Amino acid sequence: MSELETRPAGTGAPDKLEIRNVTKYYHGRGNSLPVLENFSLAVKDLEFLVLLGPSGCGKSTLLRIIDGIETCDSGQVVLDGKNVTNTTGDGRGMVFQSFELFPWRKVIDNVAFGLEVTGVGKAERLDIAREYVNLVGLSAFEHSYPHELSGGMQQRVGIARALAIKPQVLLMDEPYGALDVQTRDLLQDELLSIWERQRKTVIFVTHSIEEALYLADRIVVMSPRPGRIEQIIDVPFGRPRRDALKSDPEFLALRREIWQILKKGARV
Amino acid sequence: MEKLRSIMLACVGFALFLGLWEIGGRILGSALLAPPSAVAVDYVDLLRQGDMLRELAGSLRQMAVGFLAACIVGMPLGVAMGRSDVADAIFRPWVSMFVVTSTAALIPLFILTIGTGFMLRVTIVFLASVWYIVLTAYNGARGVSPMQVAVARSFGAGTLQIFWKVTLPAIYPFLITGARIGLVHAIRAMVLAEMFVIIGYGGLIHRSGLLVDTGPVLGLLITLMIVSLFFNWLLGEAGRRLAPWYEQQRVTL
Ligand SMILES: Nc1ncnc2c1ncn2[C@@H]1O[C@H](COP(=O)(O)OP(=O)(O)OP(=O)(O)O)[C@@H](O)[C@H]1O
Ligand SMILES: [Mg+2]
Repeated sequence: MSELETRPAGTGAPDKLEIRNVTKYYHGRGNSLPVLENFSLAVKDLEFLVLLGPSGCGKSTLLRIIDGIETCDSGQVVLDGKNVTNTTGDGRGMVFQSFELFPWRKVIDNVAFGLEVTGVGKAERLDIAREYVNLVGLSAFEHSYPHELSGGMQQRVGIARALAIKPQVLLMDEPYGALDVQTRDLLQDELLSIWERQRKTVIFVTHSIEEALYLADRIVVMSPRPGRIEQIIDVPFGRPRRDALKSDPEFLALRREIWQILKKGARV
Repeated sequence: MEKLRSIMLACVGFALFLGLWEIGGRILGSALLAPPSAVAVDYVDLLRQGDMLRELAGSLRQMAVGFLAACIVGMPLGVAMGRSDVADAIFRPWVSMFVVTSTAALIPLFILTIGTGFMLRVTIVFLASVWYIVLTAYNGARGVSPMQVAVARSFGAGTLQIFWKVTLPAIYPFLITGARIGLVHAIRAMVLAEMFVIIGYGGLIHRSGLLVDTGPVLGLLITLMIVSLFFNWLLGEAGRRLAPWYEQQRVTL
């Protein structure tokens, strides 16, 4: 367990985002399903945090609660000391698994959406949007509609749309889950290179151990429903990271260890 | 290639139909069924006389009033019903009742109450088309993706912004489709109402039907068909032009 020690609280960077005792039930016919029970987690400033866990453990629910598009039954989400529970738009930008671009908007107007609804003037928001379209390498497709783009390109637009509002915390819910392996690897590298140039706090959901290890500073391994923290893992690899890391013996060893943790959690 | 093939097959079918019609027409004679060759001659006559196109233009203008009124009332009503349970509960029984009611059966009633003038045609056209427009808009509004609404909320959009920037654009293809269906019904209703009171284009058809020659009636019907197809195409084209994503959206309806 040498590399797997969990960092004691209070060391390193200050907390950017705090999730305090969040509880969420889904109410069905006659029964209530606990998805999250007293879930607490502190996310450090500028860290790349990955939530890893089996399907249905509540990762999306947690991310949607942080974003505010889902309400929680109790508990708090605190961003920079400010209570943002059950509110949207304030400092958080979200990237969705199935892209969820607006089909009636061109690429540039999709990216400008967040700025548009917060009242940024047209010329200014288009300038900013153009900058982010360029950042994800889609300048040539500014005036294309989403249906004219491949899945990978659509998700680049999704990322540009979330970044364009300059969020303090970027929330990504299995952003590459709907893409093929090659595109996925490519986009992971692109994301890392963007993140290294424009550091910000990222909470990234996945159920791929490899993806988690490749991207994260810390990995939060969650247990099946109701979602609890099984273990928090500090990822020891330096940055910038390159694709070759994925075949590094240490990487593979860690991957196996995390697999064991997930398997153990699944049995409980 | 696939497309070319289907066009060719359609042409073959059409030629076959014309051939059979020609033969049938020759056997039965123009009083019962004018053959296409005779209809063509009559058609040139109709065009030269000018009655057909003049009556058509006049009728279409009145139809347009009723149809536009149906759009103006029907689209917001359908959207409201789709987005609000209260509006749905209040209006749906009425829409369900009216949409199954035969417009023809209402015409005598309306002749008694509002006479045979301009208002009759407008009212009948309105009643014949508005329910289809309502129902299509209703289904569109029901189907707006909750995920896309969530995305808009995620970026901090308020209720009004969500309506203008997500709900309406998402419904747009349905509004166009509703208008197309509504327009077909509107044109049919226009002719029906006019045949009751023998005015306008419908009146012209009625009077031609009394002749011993079926050529002119068939000519009038062909024009009507062409006009309906043209407007249907025009609305579809407008949809595509104004909204390039429309085709793609429509496939997924
Ligand atoms: N709207 C809802 N109504 C009822 N139950 C829900 C709803 N959304 C999610 N759930 C349930 O809550 C649990 C957690 O769902 P969630 O989508 O957060 O899981 P997840 O960890 O993101 O899974 P995946 O990896 O498959 O995306 C699941 O068991 C799911 O069935
Ligand atoms: Mg999920």
